[in-house]
Amino acid sequence: MNSPSPSAGHAVVPAPTAAARDRALFVNFFKRELNTRYLGSVSGFAWAFVHPLVLLVVYHFVFTTIFRTTGFGGQSFLAFVAVALWPWLAAQEGIQRSATSLAGYAGLIRKVAFPHELVIYASVTATLALQLAGYLVVLLALVAFGEPIHLEGLLLALPLWGVMAIGIIGVALFFAALQVFIRDVEHVLMPGLMILMYLTPILYPLTLVPEVMRPWVALNPFSWLVSRLRDALLDGKLALEWGDAVAVLVAMAIFFAGRWIFRRLSPYFEDFV
Amino acid sequence: MRNEATGAPLLSLEGVGKDYAKVESRGGQVRLVWDLLRGHGAANVFRALDDVGFTLERGQSLGIVGENGAGKSTLLKVVAGVIAPTRGRVQVNGRVGALLELGSGFHPDYTGLANIELSAALLGLSPREIASKREEIVAFADIGDHINEPIKHYSSGMVVRLGFAVATALRPDILITDEVLAVGDESFQKKCIAWIEDYLAEGGTLLLCSHSMYHIQKLCRHALWLRDGRVVREGAAMDVTQAYLAFHEEKSAQARRPMAAAVAHAAGVYAVQSLAIAPEGSLTQGETLSIRGEIFSPDGRAPVVLLGVVRADGTPVYGVASDMEGVALRPVGDNRFAFGLTLPGLALLPGKYVVRAHAMDPEGVRLFDNVERAFVVTGVSREMGFVRLPHTWHDPD
Repeated sequence: MNSPSPSAGHAVVPAPTAAARDRALFVNFFKRELNTRYLGSVSGFAWAFVHPLVLLVVYHFVFTTIFRTTGFGGQSFLAFVAVALWPWLAAQEGIQRSATSLAGYAGLIRKVAFPHELVIYASVTATLALQLAGYLVVLLALVAFGEPIHLEGLLLALPLWGVMAIGIIGVALFFAALQVFIRDVEHVLMPGLMILMYLTPILYPLTLVPEVMRPWVALNPFSWLVSRLRDALLDGKLALEWGDAVAVLVAMAIFFAGRWIFRRLSPYFEDFV
Repeated sequence: MRNEATGAPLLSLEGVGKDYAKVESRGGQVRLVWDLLRGHGAANVFRALDDVGFTLERGQSLGIVGENGAGKSTLLKVVAGVIAPTRGRVQVNGRVGALLELGSGFHPDYTGLANIELSAALLGLSPREIASKREEIVAFADIGDHINEPIKHYSSGMVVRLGFAVATALRPDILITDEVLAVGDESFQKKCIAWIEDYLAEGGTLLLCSHSMYHIQKLCRHALWLRDGRVVREGAAMDVTQAYLAFHEEKSAQARRPMAAAVAHAAGVYAVQSLAIAPEGSLTQGETLSIRGEIFSPDGRAPVVLLGVVRADGTPVYGVASDMEGVALRPVGDNRFAFGLTLPGLALLPGKYVVRAHAMDPEGVRLFDNVERAFVVTGVSREMGFVRLPHTWHDPD
């Protein structure tokens, strides 16, 4: 029992700035998300690829072998779907995981003062980072198998992921804050996101949608994202459009709206989480 | 420190109140979220804290006492910044180290080491600073190889050890602790108390919440008594803790009135009907204490009485039952049986004590009710403990 007492005689460490503290905390949470999510499981990182790959194979089989769908503008179905499927799954997983992520930090939220939104930032960015890694591997694999992918399109595709991330964080902040008070949120999210996926031109091109419904489908920000990713990676078109600026503004608006709601509710988390 | 120049207190609270939302109906949560989003605050609330105010200067130590649910933890959380007060103002001019409800926000799946890193990140330390503190923390916590295991496998005592080591590693300007001393083992408690005393001696500031009046009196100069979220009394630790103890004695005395014979009869239990001590209330050290009373027996058989003396805090001093010494209680009619016990030249040292009487069945196996009479032993002895043992000093050869 005569171990040294901590910091006896030590100078007090200068109080860190809030920004430095938040950064250190974000890094810690980010690592924790990666660790608990994949690295702890048996095959680790590989799970980030397996799920989307299995889906891709199933869709390919159903749409080209059973339904014999055509009308992909002469493009290969594999490339057509792969380019859009990963970002969608990343978004879906990011939203779903973040919605329930605060519960995992309940011990901290009840006992320590820190900005709760860091949990959501870490959760979303960790998911997106893993899915992006999977995306890059799959694109390279498709190129290796001779699929018509324009790798230079990544110059546009990566910023598009960035825009998506901003929007997703906004959506995730909203649902995560709501989930703390209303437990039904996670149960509504799953079917809701599934419906949204089929309403987004991921497995089919917008041109197959009946003319009257097209503007409604196009209202979905994800429709824009998917079509811009296809422009870049399937057609090699890198030119920016006016719509891109609008999309950035929309993503920012979603982010700030989500953050406003989150900050409004977060002082009350401690009692409900 | 920064605030010395301005002269502002390290911590000041003004009219602080905290409401917790109550959600009763099914749709209540939706309603609550809507109210919160509109900035209205919850409509249906429980008032956990109301109009609490105090200031704490650097180097002061304040103990907070109160029953369960009085708002002690809520108050500490408000000071630690974990929750925002609904009303009033909290101003903290320094770094707060908080140990709330065991462990300072540990993650159960993380190992002890990983949790140290998390806590350090929460305090905003750089990885290099973390590395320099880690060994001290591990050494102080003194939990051996468990440091590499997930916290969920720890005993509560180990969690507290680690929590205390982390919370104190950075020498916070204000240390806030909530009942930590109640969990660790004896030697760790001593180590913590020694650390806190050293910290206070060096000008540290302490906010301690405890059910142990001993710890409050030992570590705090001032105390504050919370009841139903409001400050009942504030002042010197000794005065406040004594007032608090007196309040509890009165409360338990009310709860320990003898059971009515009719009730005991209907319930079929043995019950103490009366208990009297002489002298009543107060006696000087070495005086004779006499105890008498009556017990009701539902079946008319002679019951056994167990009599004991305990300290005001419940520590037993001595106990004896009538059947141990072959004493039969005297029937006085109506299924009542009387007993009397004399304790000549009472060896108790000055302090507060309680005489307890329990009714037992004739076999001396089942123990029924519990009736108490408090008394004070007065005197000027400086001896320690609570009983004077017969002794003589002799020549050392």
